[in-house]
Amino acid sequence: MLRYVVRRLVMLLGIVVVISIGSFYLIHLLPGDPAAVILGTGDTPANRAILYKQLGLDRPMVVQYFIWLRNILHGNFGISFISQTSVASTIRAALPIDLELIALSQILAFAAAIPLAMRSARKPDGIVDRILGAGSFTLLSIPPFIIIVLLVLVISIKLGISNTGPSSYVSFGTDWIVNLESLTLPAFTLAIGSFVLYYRVLRSDLIATLQEEFITVARSKGISRRRIMWRHAFRPSSVALLGSAGVNIGGLLASGFVVEYLLAIPGLGYTLIAAINASDYLLVQGIVLVVSVGVVVINFLFDFVINIVDPRISRE
Amino acid sequence: MSEVPLLEVRELSVTFETAGGPLPAVSGVSFTVGPNETLGIVGESGSGKTVLARSIMGLQPRARVTTTGSVRLNGSETVGASETELRRLWSTEVAMIFQDPMTALNPVMRVGKQIDETLRVRLGMSRPAAKARAIELLEMVGIPSPAQRYNAYPGQLSGGMRQRVVIAAALACTPKLLLADEPTTGLDVTIQAQILNLLDDLKDRLHMSVVLITHDLGVVATRTSHLAVMYAGRIVEFGATRDVFAHHRMPYTRALLESSPRVANPSHTRLAAIPGRPPNLLTLGEGCAFAPRCAYANDRCHVERPPLSAPDAAGHSFACWNPLSEESR
Repeated sequence: MLRYVVRRLVMLLGIVVVISIGSFYLIHLLPGDPAAVILGTGDTPANRAILYKQLGLDRPMVVQYFIWLRNILHGNFGISFISQTSVASTIRAALPIDLELIALSQILAFAAAIPLAMRSARKPDGIVDRILGAGSFTLLSIPPFIIIVLLVLVISIKLGISNTGPSSYVSFGTDWIVNLESLTLPAFTLAIGSFVLYYRVLRSDLIATLQEEFITVARSKGISRRRIMWRHAFRPSSVALLGSAGVNIGGLLASGFVVEYLLAIPGLGYTLIAAINASDYLLVQGIVLVVSVGVVVINFLFDFVINIVDPRISRE
Repeated sequence: MSEVPLLEVRELSVTFETAGGPLPAVSGVSFTVGPNETLGIVGESGSGKTVLARSIMGLQPRARVTTTGSVRLNGSETVGASETELRRLWSTEVAMIFQDPMTALNPVMRVGKQIDETLRVRLGMSRPAAKARAIELLEMVGIPSPAQRYNAYPGQLSGGMRQRVVIAAALACTPKLLLADEPTTGLDVTIQAQILNLLDDLKDRLHMSVVLITHDLGVVATRTSHLAVMYAGRIVEFGATRDVFAHHRMPYTRALLESSPRVANPSHTRLAAIPGRPPNLLTLGEGCAFAPRCAYANDRCHVERPPLSAPDAAGHSFACWNPLSEESR
């Protein structure tokens, strides 16, 4: 187990290094010269050489990378040329919103998917299973931006609940009721896709597990159906569920951007789109870096949990 | 069998509905098992042994299966009983050991938990008491350092050890009847004897009755008091084990005996394989199911099924129109 974790950690580190090189290089791929922008009318070859020296742009690319990396590791993502604010503080303000949004949506998705998958697996192709199957497919086939428009129409406009918009967002610490209210709609939208995925994955694995001999053995001990489902069938059936959740949560950051933008929630997605529109490349770079590393770390954590759930995986 | 039978099976039939029509896996099986008795059930693969065992337990799925007849376990009927009713019998009255210890244990649950779960759910034991008892059980089935093994996952144990765990779990609530369905088939030959001896020993210590299902006559010869030979879902010969071995009347029983190796034979003696194949249960005719493979079969055998004869003075019965005579053996 320990060896497995160490091996995985080394891999994780490798991936993060590759990501960092990628994000660093991103800026250099962009057209335009920062010195030209900064100097404006005073752009002479002599001034430019001085500024290059000041900014460290005369150094070799590799050296620049390590200087940049050292700054990042110290939490210094630079100062945005556009807004003149620290990139790190902008990210620090936006990131918790995404984390909360994803956490809420995942709680909703799991809370619905697990019991419904169990209900379906109890009688595959039964009436309940068919209804759930058809319903989940319908939900899956509607893209989130349509769902969100429908939800806004029904919940916010018709029913007048859950106001959205940048002005209505309040942090959890300030007023948690208003905070949850403002995140209900986006969390719900994000939860739908996750729910369908988790429901389908868990349902089919549960059906397979319930055919196993050890389930018959457990039944023959006189254990209740409910206990067999939770204690015997759920754990061996949840490996694919956790694996897909790891990948899905990474992807949620991306689809979360759409939802955030549509509902004007000032999370990373909203900030990123605004930064792209404003050509605020340093901010783009910072967000890309944070999100990429986040995705990798989430996947690593899920891998770790899968190993605890199914000890056979790290043993081989 | 003068005592009140612990298990009484009467005219048990189990039919599966298949795409090819009804498949009679077990047909009109009757027998009894008294307290502390061991009944052996032998037969080829597909003769209905496992279906019989699962039907006695009431573990057979309900969908597309028709079960008729009666199975009384210590007085309680299991045919047609609801799962809730059966749950009261399982573990405490009857328990089952399954064929393959590789699949019978939950791979992601510590083996100790799989034993003390039964104690906690069925006997209402507290967590620590159940754990202590589970460790005792592991010790009883001959697992070295049981306290450490309690925390092992099945994948960390050998096949023999796993089967010992399966046995410990089955015996946790000291059932009165143990159904052992090919308990050694999945194990190495050297382990087989160990497991069988363990079962034998536990049967005496815990005063259980045992139904030992196997295709291996060598397994039942010395370890059972009575023997039922099954063919195509029916019992074709029944009697005291010693009697069936020495005075078998049914040609199938003889064929089965001749197809197992014997120490007394000179080495390199060819085993007598039973010609032909086991019958297709979907297309069983009117006659004796064994007739197509039987050297003694005549016209009658092909058109009329021989019933199981009334037991003789020794309790021996058989289903054959042309039983082997006393001399021919």
